[in-house]
Amino acid sequence: MATSDVSARDASGDRGGLFIRQTSGLVRELGIPAAVGISLASVAVVNTFINFNAGLTAFQKADMYLPLIAAAIIWLVAMFAYRYLLRAVPRAGGEYVYLSRIVSPVVGSIAGLGIAVVFTYVLSTNAHFAAEFTPFMLSGIGAVFHSTAIANAGNSVTSDGWVFGLSLIVMVIVAALSLSSVKLVARIIFGLILLQLLAFVVLMIVLAASSRSGFSSALASYSHHPGAFQAIISTGKANGVVFGTSIASMIAIIPFMVLNYNGVLYSYYVGGELRRPGRTYLYASVISLIVLVVLWGGVWALLRARVGLPFMQAQANLGAVNPAAYGKITSLDSVAGGLGYGMILTSNPIARLLFATAVPLAEIAVNLAFLTVTTRVLFAQAFDRLLPVRVAKVGERNHAPNVAIAIVLIVGAAFCYLTSFVNLSNIVALQSLFFALILLAGGVAATFLASRRPELVLGETSGSEAERKAFLRKVTIVGAATTLLALFTVFEIVSHTSVYGKFSVESIITLIVVLGAGPVIYLIARGIRRQRNALDLSLAMHELPPE
Amino acid sequence: MIGFRQAKKKRALRIYFVSDLHGSEVCFRKFLAAAKVYEPDVLILGGDFAGKGLVPVLRHGDSWSATVDGQQVTVPLGDYDRLQADVTKRGFYPVQMDEDELARINADPGLLDELFREQIREQARRWCDLVSERLDPSIRCIITPGNDDPVEADEIYAASDRVEFPSFQVCSLGPFSMASLAMVPTTPWNTERECSEEELAKLIDDMLEPLPADTTCILNFHSPPYASTLDDAPELDASLKPVIRGGRPSIVPVGSHAVRAAIKKYQPPVALHGHIHESRGVQKIGRTLCINPGSDYSSGVLRGAVVDLAEDGTCLDFLLTTG
Repeated sequence: MATSDVSARDASGDRGGLFIRQTSGLVRELGIPAAVGISLASVAVVNTFINFNAGLTAFQKADMYLPLIAAAIIWLVAMFAYRYLLRAVPRAGGEYVYLSRIVSPVVGSIAGLGIAVVFTYVLSTNAHFAAEFTPFMLSGIGAVFHSTAIANAGNSVTSDGWVFGLSLIVMVIVAALSLSSVKLVARIIFGLILLQLLAFVVLMIVLAASSRSGFSSALASYSHHPGAFQAIISTGKANGVVFGTSIASMIAIIPFMVLNYNGVLYSYYVGGELRRPGRTYLYASVISLIVLVVLWGGVWALLRARVGLPFMQAQANLGAVNPAAYGKITSLDSVAGGLGYGMILTSNPIARLLFATAVPLAEIAVNLAFLTVTTRVLFAQAFDRLLPVRVAKVGERNHAPNVAIAIVLIVGAAFCYLTSFVNLSNIVALQSLFFALILLAGGVAATFLASRRPELVLGETSGSEAERKAFLRKVTIVGAATTLLALFTVFEIVSHTSVYGKFSVESIITLIVVLGAGPVIYLIARGIRRQRNALDLSLAMHELPPE
Repeated sequence: MIGFRQAKKKRALRIYFVSDLHGSEVCFRKFLAAAKVYEPDVLILGGDFAGKGLVPVLRHGDSWSATVDGQQVTVPLGDYDRLQADVTKRGFYPVQMDEDELARINADPGLLDELFREQIREQARRWCDLVSERLDPSIRCIITPGNDDPVEADEIYAASDRVEFPSFQVCSLGPFSMASLAMVPTTPWNTERECSEEELAKLIDDMLEPLPADTTCILNFHSPPYASTLDDAPELDASLKPVIRGGRPSIVPVGSHAVRAAIKKYQPPVALHGHIHESRGVQKIGRTLCINPGSDYSSGVLRGAVVDLAEDGTCLDFLLTTG
């Protein structure tokens, strides 16, 4: 079976191109539409409201246009680096495989374990976001069904303990669903993604059909406070909120928006199945980036036009620094952002249900997909003997990776506990940092690609020696540019200690665990194997001479 | 981890196993070079040695031209070796021809098929010669076919003095035996060696049942066991395109039920598989360690597995390799 190398269309010999004989094997047939679908399905579209809120809360004078565009450019540059990596290493595998193959097996193994831990951490933070949005969801459902009991239940699940408990429930639901058939899980993910996109489209329609005065009236009615709109702005001002926009703030927000686009290049994870991988991946990624810039930029423009930047800045900051004062004006959840505005602008029960459930359902969809990726990364570690082989064991009955799922669930629960007692901006900051580090890993791999494994990329060009050298230089430059942009993102996170740097003990422990797990486990595994006179781990990726 | 309690057992045999090279000259040379790195007692290439593609190289005046990765490449006559290396690296066969020959091949599928088989036989001869030239005589080299390999190549390998070709046979591996089987369950592509699950089960039983009870026999079955994660491949629709579910290609098990049943029934210490390139991995079914080293032949990267067996027939240790 397996994957053959060319499209069936290339099999026609009338162009004197390539003849393919009848053999088993998937012919690379995933085209641009499928690859765009994969990329967009990997992005949690409604999470943009979480990141909008994080940006508005963390920085004075925040605006999102520049960060949205700058982050898209960072991903655009990274896309070219990943394109070369994909051409050089066309199998799925991601940064772990790239670093192993190009830089060093040891570095790859370390990165692999780090990525496994990061992905598990992301699972827990997604569960945490779902828990954070549960009060908003319950109050929305309560409003739809005219049930004060449900609406009031939302107010009683806001403590750290409840958030931890709800995060845990989300993790268990995701783990339980993952134990069922792969096809069922895929259908669930697909359904949840559709609901998420539908909520986004409906929100844009609701916002477009509204006006500033309409929003002000709706907020007044919702809050039973005739001057709620102005009251939030004036109380915000009294509590130190600074209005307007500043370039410095917008630059500092870029890491949040980098996180926003996470997943947009994920069609490279299925590189082995893409038709003409380099070209398809390039087009699919560019189209996906453009769609997201238009979608998110459009909704931000609508929010600015209908709600106004001063209100959004006041609401986000007041809700964070003085929740009591905010609560006296309105019961609208201050972190709900655009979804909350949509909720009060429409009385349509279906639209309200969509807005209320969008974030929790989106997080479940993202976590279902992420759990699969995380277990795959754990499998890779087990196959490389860094983890026990039983980690990769699949169940006799359900054919699911029960052990790996259990490990992710346990570690994820521990992360849920930690994240429940760290403030939201720090969680997003850590997540931004982790993804910036993964991007950095990809950039480093691309930078070293031309010098360490030129034979893997030179297949792209069959020109003269000078042309080949120029091509290798281009690969290195693109890799270096990606590395620099990833370093810039990391620098922005580390240098803004007032926002990103307010690491608590828990978050620092988290960071140490994530970055230190790889080297520690590698050294332990290698040491144990040496003691046993077992096969040396360094042989696993020993470069073989072809002659 | 495997081997923790067996640390004091003595190694009786080291195997280096690869599969699905699909005509890649680079990978085959690395396969031979691996003998010095991993120091095995036996090298095993477990099927699908034949290439899949044939690239016509046309002469135009003082240059050669061919299509490589969808791009037209033209080189001076003196640079043929570089062009050839570009093509063979991908596991394709470069064939020099003129426009008339190309037209004849286009018009006659039978001619193309014969050309393919000729190239595969020719490569088999080259590879046998390479084994004789380069491999230390103390190291055995076993090559068995896979479902994509034409039967015409069998006689070339079988006639070699240096290569052993125990296709559909049980051969001796020092203190152990090894049963090899190229057949796989029916595929949508109607390949050279495939059959129904029932036939496959019978073939396996015919090989393994006659063995004495005290024989330790490892398996070299091209098809991996069903639903073992060593057999995960993209689900295809009726037009052989991948099915997308939930924004991802749907992955389904495509291994053999008969092979899985045989592993459960006979419980060999090790079962070596290939066939599904992207399902590199290791899985235990009962006491049996099942290994699929995967394949990345089109990148010129050799994926393999080093397996150590103890004197008592248990698996001491293993390592998946990428070289």
